[in-house]
Amino acid sequence: MVFENGIVNLTSWLGNVILPTLAGLFFAIAILRFVGPGQHQRWMYAGLLALMVSGILRGLETFSSQQAWDDPDLYWMSLMNLVNWTCNVMMPLYGVVQLVVGTLHFAGIGHRMYQGGSWMRHFVAAAGCFMLSGIVRLAEWFVIQGTGGVS
Amino acid sequence: MPTPQVLNDIIRLLLQLMPAMALICLVLAGVALRMEGGSTFAIGGSFTKWALWGVIMLSLPHLLLWFNFFGLPVPVAGGAIGTPWLDGIQVDVSTFVTDFLIGRVTVVLAAFFVLRALLDAVHGGSPLASIVTAMFLLAIPATADLITSLETGTRFSAVDVLDGLWTYVAGRIMPAAAGLAVVAAIFNFVANRPSMRFVGAAIGFLTVSALWRLVQGMM
Repeated sequence: MVFENGIVNLTSWLGNVILPTLAGLFFAIAILRFVGPGQHQRWMYAGLLALMVSGILRGLETFSSQQAWDDPDLYWMSLMNLVNWTCNVMMPLYGVVQLVVGTLHFAGIGHRMYQGGSWMRHFVAAAGCFMLSGIVRLAEWFVIQGTGGVS
Repeated sequence: MPTPQVLNDIIRLLLQLMPAMALICLVLAGVALRMEGGSTFAIGGSFTKWALWGVIMLSLPHLLLWFNFFGLPVPVAGGAIGTPWLDGIQVDVSTFVTDFLIGRVTVVLAAFFVLRALLDAVHGGSPLASIVTAMFLLAIPATADLITSLETGTRFSAVDVLDGLWTYVAGRIMPAAAGLAVVAAIFNFVANRPSMRFVGAAIGFLTVSALWRLVQGMM
């Protein structure tokens, strides 16, 4: 029994077994919170993040391996790569999401058709309850599609 | 005047018991590791003290080379122990340590640390500290083999072993710990606790050697 194997297997077990399993629970809690007054977005993002542990680690490994292992600037360059990725990849994608949300608001969804209204919220929550497995599968599908990276 | 055989055999006995004593030092280091945090340790604390003693025990014959370097010949007696009852002590003590302390007691101790991990979780703490300690205890024979493999056979052997252990931790353990940091970041995000520090730590775990070079470069 080797200590290194123990740590590696513990990490793999948590990242590839436990958290993907908990992802379903996180989505379920997100639906429950959506019905009530609490914040539900955090649980929804947590469900997605729980499916992406390996991907996040691979991303950090990529950010931290662009220089030689003994390059004193490696930590700085790793942070720089993280910032570059956030600003040049994630923020444009977030911008697209905001455009979609803006278009929806312009179309009246949000005030003329208010999804926060009690009757619609309950219908959406019911649909989420019935489709929970599908939602998890959809999130898994999105994660699998992203294994090739963003081109 | 030649050294009496019994004295040579006593020296041989003490030197040949060093690996068994090193195993005991590593067990005590494991217990100290949990007391100092489990997933962290204090430099100069009990964990480092017992780990250092473990290294010294395993590299003591090479440390004695310093006396030869100083011009003081040390008659290190190699080979087997000639006195039967001293040889019996060596075999019995080594067997007791290997089969009883390491083979059974340490395994049970590790099992208790797994139990402690659950209790830690019940009390709202992190179970990781006790889990890491249990793994350290279960891996003691492999760790002793690792320390032995890092010996260079020179009078600097003890420091070379510590150097090798640092490289091993930085190059093999820390990248795996980066994965744990990502998992911890997600758990903290769920619990609405600070999570960005774990992301920064994960990058740090992946770049330990470079950080060391950075500090050296700043000097």
